[in-house]
Amino acid sequence: MTSFLTFTILGLVLGAVYAIAASGLVLTYTTSGIFNFAHGAQAMLGTFLYWQLTYGWGWPMWLSLVVVVGLAGPAMGALLHMLIMRGLRETADVTKIVVTVAIMLGMVYLSQWIWHPEEARVTEMFFGANAKIELGGVVVRVHELVCLVVAVAVAIGLRLLFTRTRAGVVMRGAVDDPDLLRLNGHDPDRIAMLSWAMGSTLAVLAGILVTPIGGGALEANQLTLLVIDAFAAAMFGRLRSIPRTFTGAMVLGMTATYVMAYFPTDWTWAGNLRVSLPMIILFVVLIVLPQDRLRVAAVRTRERYRPPTPRSAAVWGAALVAAVFLLALLLDDGSITTFALGMTFAIVALSLTLLTGYAGELNLAPLSFGAVATITGFHFGVTGSGLASRLTLWGVLLAVLVTAVVGGLVALPALRLRGLYLALATMAFGVFLSNMVLRDTTEHTLFGVTFSIFPNGTLIVPPLQVGPFDLRDPRTLLMTATVLFALIGVGLAALRASGYGRRLAAMKDSPAAAAMLGQNLVKLKFGVFMLSAAIAGLGGLLMASAGGSVSGDNFAIMSSLALVMLTVVGGIGYISGALFGGLVSGVGFTIMVGTFNDLATAHPSMESIYKTIGQLLVVATALIGMGVGKNPSGTVHDIVEGYRTLRGARALLAGAAAVEAVLYGLALTGVIGNWWFAILTACLVMALPVAGRMRAAAPVRRTPPELAGVAEPYSDELRERLDRELGLPARERMAKEASVHAVA
Amino acid sequence: MNEQAPLLELTGVRAAYGPIQVLHGVDLRVHPGSVVALLGPNGGGKSTTMKVCAGLLPLTGGELRLAGRRVNGITAQDAARLGICSIPEGRGVFPNLTVRENLWAATGTGARLADLEEAAYTRFPILGERRHQLAGSLSGGQQQMLALSRALGTDPVILLLDELSMGLAPMIVTRMYETVAQLVAEGLSVLVAEQFARAVLPIADTAALMLHGRVVASGRPGDIEDQLSSSYLGG
Repeated sequence: MTSFLTFTILGLVLGAVYAIAASGLVLTYTTSGIFNFAHGAQAMLGTFLYWQLTYGWGWPMWLSLVVVVGLAGPAMGALLHMLIMRGLRETADVTKIVVTVAIMLGMVYLSQWIWHPEEARVTEMFFGANAKIELGGVVVRVHELVCLVVAVAVAIGLRLLFTRTRAGVVMRGAVDDPDLLRLNGHDPDRIAMLSWAMGSTLAVLAGILVTPIGGGALEANQLTLLVIDAFAAAMFGRLRSIPRTFTGAMVLGMTATYVMAYFPTDWTWAGNLRVSLPMIILFVVLIVLPQDRLRVAAVRTRERYRPPTPRSAAVWGAALVAAVFLLALLLDDGSITTFALGMTFAIVALSLTLLTGYAGELNLAPLSFGAVATITGFHFGVTGSGLASRLTLWGVLLAVLVTAVVGGLVALPALRLRGLYLALATMAFGVFLSNMVLRDTTEHTLFGVTFSIFPNGTLIVPPLQVGPFDLRDPRTLLMTATVLFALIGVGLAALRASGYGRRLAAMKDSPAAAAMLGQNLVKLKFGVFMLSAAIAGLGGLLMASAGGSVSGDNFAIMSSLALVMLTVVGGIGYISGALFGGLVSGVGFTIMVGTFNDLATAHPSMESIYKTIGQLLVVATALIGMGVGKNPSGTVHDIVEGYRTLRGARALLAGAAAVEAVLYGLALTGVIGNWWFAILTACLVMALPVAGRMRAAAPVRRTPPELAGVAEPYSDELRERLDRELGLPARERMAKEASVHAVA
Repeated sequence: MNEQAPLLELTGVRAAYGPIQVLHGVDLRVHPGSVVALLGPNGGGKSTTMKVCAGLLPLTGGELRLAGRRVNGITAQDAARLGICSIPEGRGVFPNLTVRENLWAATGTGARLADLEEAAYTRFPILGERRHQLAGSLSGGQQQMLALSRALGTDPVILLLDELSMGLAPMIVTRMYETVAQLVAEGLSVLVAEQFARAVLPIADTAALMLHGRVVASGRPGDIEDQLSSSYLGG
């Protein structure tokens, strides 16, 4: 009985910390409509700062508590709101998610830069680990009591704030209608800033309280994910109700403790289960609890994508293959392997183009589907042994097929979820897979067969061989991955242009309208999810075999999130956006950090500067992600728009092509180094739109759109401009329609 | 009466949603104590004009004057504190707050909650009975009463009403305008945009007809009424 009480109290304490973290999450979500994925990272940064003040610089504990919880926490939240969050109005769910994910990644990178991850840091419990009180035969640490008291205080405080103060009432009103709030004489920005400051403070508080309970060691990723566990608690309250959030947090905390306490010790997977329990609960809660109904009105967002025609996609695909082939001639074998790895990431990113860009559904764990394919391929698709072992074509097909089925199975219960909820469900699946399956290194015996899913923590995946076609050669691997990427890309463009693609687009723009037109949304979602999982699986398997061996870390949720973020940065609606996202997240980091580390070793006197630049670049990638809020259509979109001014400037384009050809010739013959080639090419690529703009800047007096056809004749060019200003894609279609009308 | 300086004056006001210009030079005056009805078919620019007056949409040209002072680029919260009470199209209530909390939120302009509550519950007793009910669960008419209550207790200088009749039963619309008429009798100035001219013409002093982002005619309500059918039917 005593042990039961002890475990119950431990569960309550864990629940209390979850509750503090989750209520901060609910606070910011209800007042700004932004689900803050960076909540955990904020907690992490706050905890590290607390460690730095108390243990690093030896400040008294109360002083650092005041500084961190009282100053740094609110300041961090207010800054986040002022710099980033207020720019996120009227953007699609995916943009909001990606921006907060980018902030999370940026904070993690930043903390790893400031506080080197290999040093051990420990924070101790308040009043020490030995300060204990005995209550009715149960021994409770004072720190645990503090957690409980703080949670109760937060609960009461929030309740009073929301019901008994005008500021709290106005905060709740901000969700409904910020404009109406302004008509009432309030400033919604100030209110949102206040709520972000409070949310951030709660996150920091939770981080400081939870770290000693979990052993006291500070580790950036782990701490970030620990607070992410609070998502499940927030979901209990449907991101709205604080009391239900607290109930959820207690359920979560106690279940986790009981699993640890009462599961038989020979169940080796119980530890993994405990870690992934919050995510399992998150998944279940998402599916079981009723969520918001479909919004009837079409969502007006700032994102604009222009789908390519299959023909232009084919031309660009061929150009890509040719460019990669030429580029490969310049590179050594090691670089080619890295490049090929990036290309396989790009294939995984293509699954996002289909799912998110075309169908508007979200998947935050694309690499987890890659992991499924890798495991299948490893267990059922390898022939031979040692160096002679090869992946068979049938193995690859089987792996892709299994991944599609798993994708369907994950999507099946999640089909009625949309937007944020679906994103959270996929994230829960991803974390669950990382914690349960990819850490499952022990042997099981089931139906007389002994096996282990992830032996030794690494899988050796050999390259594919089909007949004489052997992917062990890095060049063949690179070209195969590129050709596959191009083929899938062209296929996706064709799919988007087909009736099926239009149905997907309709579902994305307005699910309600699509349903009213008789579309079976469930079937559509199911199909597109399976297809996307299959693509991710193919990419993941190729990635594993390109790298030779993979560990569970390769498929970690942070890598998935980085891939999603960079694909959105590139432009989630574009195939080239997938290429950008895949290459940068797959190998960009490695190259950046590697290059600057090489420079640092080569020039020891400049070592610290080069290392700093390398780290800065990594943090900068996350900054690009935050920039998505300003430019939600993606970088590729901007580049394409820039190059639009060059249309018709044949002489300029031909000149640029000639210069590029000369550069390539020089690089191939070794006159200039590869770096010079890369830098000069980048300069050329950037200079072209500028030249185009200068050319187009000749003073053309523009008639305002509404006077079109009145003040000037209604020409084709004008119609094109109107289409562009209104964001309509259908230049060709309109021409077709016109001819139909003419016939009629 | 026209000798008096107008309380709210728009001269050549232009406004745009992104690149699409909607108002092409709107001229409009609201004199103290008068009721101006802004009439016209869908897409004429009535709601946009109301948004400009309330400070929700910035001007791209022309002038917005409040009591003779040029207030171009005023924010909605400042406009509200200066005494412009705007009840937007649809329901001007927060659906997830209770009736009382809605009134509480309305005190952002400096009014006291107790005054607001008293004014609202005296005029609309049903709101008093449902003070702890969520506004979103009230009927359409009751929500509009709640929205109008903001004008009752905060003592505004000018009331902007956008499509008060939208989605309401004719009987309720009549009751709403009776309330407005009482407020006017107490000296409030009102600018009201309305598609259904019948509802508002009886209480209006002046009517202005908006078409394609311009005020094409203004004058006595009776005169404007004659032009209405031809403009609504695209004559």
